[in-house]
Amino acid sequence: MYSRIKDILVEQFDVEESAVSLQANLYDELQIDSIDAVDLLVQLKAITGKKISPEAFKEVRTIGDVLDALAKL
Amino acid sequence: MKTIEFASRFVGTALLWFLFGLIGLILSVFVFPILYLTIQKDNGRQHVARRLVALAFSAFMWAGCRMGVFTVHVTGMKHKDPEGAQLILANHPTLIDVVLLLSLLPQVDCVIKEAVRKNLFMRSSVTTANYISNQEPEWLLNSCVSCLESGSSLLMFPEGTRTTVGQGLQFKLGAAEVAIRARAQILPIVIDCTPQFLTRGAPWYSIPLTRPHFAVRILPAIPVEQLIPGGLDERGARNQLNNALVSLFESELT
Repeated sequence: MYSRIKDILVEQFDVEESAVSLQANLYDELQIDSIDAVDLLVQLKAITGKKISPEAFKEVRTIGDVLDALAKL
Repeated sequence: MKTIEFASRFVGTALLWFLFGLIGLILSVFVFPILYLTIQKDNGRQHVARRLVALAFSAFMWAGCRMGVFTVHVTGMKHKDPEGAQLILANHPTLIDVVLLLSLLPQVDCVIKEAVRKNLFMRSSVTTANYISNQEPEWLLNSCVSCLESGSSLLMFPEGTRTTVGQGLQFKLGAAEVAIRARAQILPIVIDCTPQFLTRGAPWYSIPLTRPHFAVRILPAIPVEQLIPGGLDERGARNQLNNALVSLFESELT
């Protein structure tokens, strides 16, 4: 799952591959904006078939948080 | 004299809110159920419901002016294209901006807060008029774009909520994203309320020492392409557009 997220970030959101880590903050470090975040949620839903609620996603800061949120579903 | 004016304005404000609740209740309990029974088509019902909402809001604004609670001056109505689909973007200084704007622009669609959909006084009005709820981001973006593409005008407050007093304007990216995806004509509306009234966090009964005046300026429409230089990628374009919109509003408000 981690590598799928990494691929999306690198290929679609122009994130440097070296910047991606579990602890990397999506918004501050990786410069993901709110529309990207919506896009990311939609793609994660397509991959996993499960949807992180917008409320739960508001708490998400790092890629690790994304994985935790997915694990909780 | 000043104290009398203040006291009568306070009473006027209270009465105005009472009327707002009362009209909302009457519409919810009597009028909208009748619409459901008599108009089967969703489109027709939506049209009538929006007319009624605009009428109720006009009555509210008229009563507010008559009772001396506030004054309103509107310029630039000619910039509103009655036929075309325009993305109407306004800043959001006060609680009643949507009341004010929908009273002027009766048939436009607008994005409303999910909380309003749950409010007893407004629930059935906003559901029958079929305004777009901000509940789910992806759905919200798509609904806004298809609204414009279908030829309707759409009102959005890019700040997403009322302006925080003392901070610069902050627009969410959603409005810029919708504008770009729909290749919209943007109709900027600048709302300036002095002295400040019904701001974020202020209770309804807190009224300023002098009568608030709403200056509403509808600016000439701008095609979205005009605000984005060429050669930008998707994310660059929406950031650029967002910054351009913030600067436009900030320069108009100072």
